Amino acid sequence: METDIKDQLVSVEKPALTAPPDWEPVIIGILCNWCSYAGSDLTGTSRIQYPPNIRIIRVPCSSRVDPWFLIKSLQTTADGVLVSGCHPGDCHYISGNYYARRRFLVTKKLLNFVGFHENRVQFSWVSAAEGPKFAKVVAKVTDDIKKLGPLHLYKKENFAKK
Amino acid sequence: MNHTKEIQDITARLFAEGRIDVFVGYRMTGFDDNQVPVLITDPGDVSSLVFTSGSVFNLVNYLKTEHIRRKRVGIVVKGCDSRSLNLLLTEGQVKRDSLYIIGICCEGVTDEDGRKMQNCTECVVPDAVVYDELLGSPTPSGSPTPSGSIPYKVNADISELSVKPLAERAAYFEEIFEACIRCNACRHSCPLCYCAKCCIDQETPTLYNGANTTSAAFHALMTWSLHLAGRCVDCRNCEKACPSHLPLHLLHKQNESVIYENFQEHLAGVIADDRGAFYKYSLKDPDDFIM
Repeated sequence: METDIKDQLVSVEKPALTAPPDWEPVIIGILCNWCSYAGSDLTGTSRIQYPPNIRIIRVPCSSRVDPWFLIKSLQTTADGVLVSGCHPGDCHYISGNYYARRRFLVTKKLLNFVGFHENRVQFSWVSAAEGPKFAKVVAKVTDDIKKLGPLHLYKKENFAKK
Repeated sequence: MNHTKEIQDITARLFAEGRIDVFVGYRMTGFDDNQVPVLITDPGDVSSLVFTSGSVFNLVNYLKTEHIRRKRVGIVVKGCDSRSLNLLLTEGQVKRDSLYIIGICCEGVTDEDGRKMQNCTECVVPDAVVYDELLGSPTPSGSPTPSGSIPYKVNADISELSVKPLAERAAYFEEIFEACIRCNACRHSCPLCYCAKCCIDQETPTLYNGANTTSAAFHALMTWSLHLAGRCVDCRNCEKACPSHLPLHLLHKQNESVIYENFQEHLAGVIADDRGAFYKYSLKDPDDFIM
């Protein structure tokens, strides 16, 4: 009896999982203050076009990025995440990005293991002088995620609330 | 594997010499063949102690509790337990001086059905790595060796799952996270989860949704496994505690295999003063996944 009620509830709450025709991906960009954020600024001031799907969050260093930032982004609104920091050896805090690099690999592999496509979470090294590279990176990430379509995994409850 | 007599003798001696205030060991439940942890403060209770292949729990979990922290403790540890104890010592959670450790050269423990547990069939460090007294005969190959010389075995479930298609894996794990009831028994039973205030319980600001939903369970369990990445010793206390019988080792073993294959680190807790893979870095770490 209990399961019957649960099934009914789920069937009522279950949202339509098809992408609307005008769907655009939401990408969370987590950028390090010292390199990638300045790099994205350079992209803008150089008047280079890049897809507007990325929502940029500024963090002090790429090692500030706790893996749950990525997990929570994917779980709530984002279709993909881009994390960008300084090139190895260029970290403002000497070694932050080396620590981050290990964490990123383990997080990426774990997310892939539980069923997220590996292109959902991407990483890049962009220095403050690499405005054109930042535009290319964002274009590539947006393109990848547009190919994958909207992310529905673990989002059903959040869709139902809206 | 039966060290009941030896452990009773040692404990009685330690109480007689006044070296310990409390002993953490195993006793029979009294109504079935299973064992439960017991904290003994009275020397008269020593006869209730047992140690057989049914002693499955990791007793190191009890060292982090507040009422035992300032006491002199005797404890019995198997190979995996001693690795978690080593990590607690390294991370400054317990003092070595206040402990008397009985190490066991473990031959593997069995589950309720009498079968050898999966982590014991794959165990590469069966002997206790930190001890005052060692019981049993050490494994001929010797346990604590630098990385590379330990024959690392990829968990059978991991190698089986990782070749499956993505959609199948996603459906499999969605079922797992759906079955989670958010009781947090995994966290409480983990010897390495000792934070006084867990980030999952934090309320101002709320970092984690406390609801009993698939999505919230996914968020919490994934983060929990990443907090234990490079530290998990595969004692499977979390699985024994889980009321939904979730295969939580999948997340931990996945992280462990990635860390072992890519960073050439020691297995967690095998070396004293080794803080785990996420506390250090190498310039040679893989970089090919980054644009």
